[in-house]
Amino acid sequence: MHPAAAPSPASASTLGPALRSAALGLGLLLLATVCSLALDSQISLTSEAMLYVLAVVLAAYTLEPLPSALCALAAVLAFNFFFVPPRFTFAVDSHEHLIALLTMLVLALVISGLAAQLRRKTESARRSLLRAQQLQELAGELVASTSSDKVVALGQAALDRVFDGPNTLALRRPDGSLDFGLSLGDKLQEGMDCCMREAACLGPGTGRWPGLNAWYLPLGSKEALQGAVCIENVDAADQQGREHALALCSLLGQALQRLQMERAAQASQHEAARQQLQSTFLAAVSHDLRTPLAALLGAASALQTQGDRLGETERSRLLDSIASEAHYLASLTENTLQLVQLTSASHAAQPLQRSWESMEEIVGAVLHRVRLRDSRHRISLRVPKDLPLIEADPVLLAQLLSNLLDNAMQYSPGAIELQVQTREQQMQVSVKDRGEAIAPALQAQIFQPYARGDQSGTRGAGLGLALCRAIASAHGGSLHLRARQGGGNCFTLCLPLSPQQPLAGELP
Amino acid sequence: MSLQVLVVEDDREIRAMMQACLGVEGYTVQTAVSLSEARALLQHRQPDVVVLDLGLPDGDGLALVQHIRALHALPILIVSARHQEAQKIQALDAGADDYLCKPFAVGELLARMRVALRHRGTALAAAVTSHVLDDLQVDLATRTVVAQGRPLHLTPNEFKLLARLVRSAGRVVTHRQLLSDVWGAEFTEHTHYLRLYMAQLRAKIERDPAEPRHLLTETGVGYRLAAQ
Repeated sequence: MHPAAAPSPASASTLGPALRSAALGLGLLLLATVCSLALDSQISLTSEAMLYVLAVVLAAYTLEPLPSALCALAAVLAFNFFFVPPRFTFAVDSHEHLIALLTMLVLALVISGLAAQLRRKTESARRSLLRAQQLQELAGELVASTSSDKVVALGQAALDRVFDGPNTLALRRPDGSLDFGLSLGDKLQEGMDCCMREAACLGPGTGRWPGLNAWYLPLGSKEALQGAVCIENVDAADQQGREHALALCSLLGQALQRLQMERAAQASQHEAARQQLQSTFLAAVSHDLRTPLAALLGAASALQTQGDRLGETERSRLLDSIASEAHYLASLTENTLQLVQLTSASHAAQPLQRSWESMEEIVGAVLHRVRLRDSRHRISLRVPKDLPLIEADPVLLAQLLSNLLDNAMQYSPGAIELQVQTREQQMQVSVKDRGEAIAPALQAQIFQPYARGDQSGTRGAGLGLALCRAIASAHGGSLHLRARQGGGNCFTLCLPLSPQQPLAGELP
Repeated sequence: MSLQVLVVEDDREIRAMMQACLGVEGYTVQTAVSLSEARALLQHRQPDVVVLDLGLPDGDGLALVQHIRALHALPILIVSARHQEAQKIQALDAGADDYLCKPFAVGELLARMRVALRHRGTALAAAVTSHVLDDLQVDLATRTVVAQGRPLHLTPNEFKLLARLVRSAGRVVTHRQLLSDVWGAEFTEHTHYLRLYMAQLRAKIERDPAEPRHLLTETGVGYRLAAQ
């Protein structure tokens, strides 16, 4: 254990201070001798003795115990040599002087002892203060830290500031083993593992494994161990140092435990939200499945039980209903599947199947299918010539447009416009109807899975628009809704155009 | 003698439905529920057309396409659910004649089967050299194309592209097949060639290129020249 404020290099620490204390002691004695010699004619032997005692006191307060005792001895010898008659010999001529010299020697040693004790106490008080300050600072920093890595860095810095070490700090992995950043010595790993297993301090002065020259300290409480710390090259007698190390470890352990609990709380919150979403989703899907299924079952069972008694028109109406309900179920299934795929976590790892596509072709293919149900030919198409190509997944874009057109056909009785245009490095595809305008308050909501514009229980593409938006954003584009002037809604898909088109001039 | 159809489908309801519908149309229907059963039936007797589901209990229908193509020239029609798009393209490239998405309408299935049978044994029958539908007439032998009563001038690649579709009129031809037959095997990833050439062809042939009557897009799979 080294004093907190004296980080001196190891090589100079043995020789330098010894020389310095010798020089200081000798200097003080020399000064006392010179003063006494200079004032010899004016002062008595007693005063000269007092000057030497002063030098010894000063030396005792500044020097280590041994040098200061040596200094006291040297002072008595110097006093004897220079001033006690017969002068300039070590002989003493009277009993009185001999007693005086011995008294002075004892006095000097006592003073030096007392001064050294005082100095130790002062030093220890200063050190305790510094450590208390360090603990306080560390506690403050730990409160603000939000990750285990930060806590580890702070802990490592705090240990390195106080202990010469080397100091090692390792966190516990979820499986219970310790996470050693780089491979450490076997002995060290074993010690730290053992300290974790026993959840107790090991090393000199701790009562366990006193033969080691390192302290192994657990981080965190017994129930929730967070890791372990190893401080090498320590001294069994350094009770205060060990206590300080324990205090540091307890602070670090608490911080790590707090972070762990925060993580657990966050994870459970996340899981709860996910389950909530999933159950809402399932409830809504099953609701949306039940309605057409009920219609299908109704029509089919009517044909089954009353088929003979029903008129020709009634039978064909029921058959139409079966076909259209089945069609609705098919598109609902397709949308649900696609939405789950697009929004699931695994989708990030599996990007879109993009290729160079022509929007005119996609729109044409979608219309070809939708026209089968568009007997009154309500949809009109406006596509400019020479549209640039886009990099997209054509199947998804076709599904998006089908959904928008199906919605428009279902919710609006009048004409529907499908328009494609390019504007400011964007391709815009709009589907405009003259149906009832969706209230501004609901405009954001209808893009959520299973929010529906009318709220009246009529069927809609429960997640059709949610899927449309997911497809648009998967392409780096957007889907917006605005009310049209003169009534109706306009859904606009905006897709970014790549600045580099595959060149027509290059065509072979 | 009526035409023989082999239906390979593991779903009981769909199998029964197909058997009933095709029976009404005068076909003789055999059914198989797995690849192994289909192989056994094929060994025993060769049908005139195969209707094949891709997701089968003992493997991918693609394996059967390859098996049949190695031995026979009979037409194969794929019927599969949408999520198997990539598999569908693979099967078409492997030699299947056409595909149909589940759920499908019976009328569509019958129409596709008629087209497939018309092309029966393309390898043996005389090659298709002409195509006429509504206002479009194509004669591959004389290299003449007439649309809306006017003869058209097509560039060599436009003509090659149209000719490839005429030879498979009514059936879907995948992007890969078109690119490799018209431009060459090293161009099979250059789908933008197709987009641009189809746009040019439609501009010349179609009355309304945005809503084509003849050159139909099979989104994500390929193109089809309308046959009816």
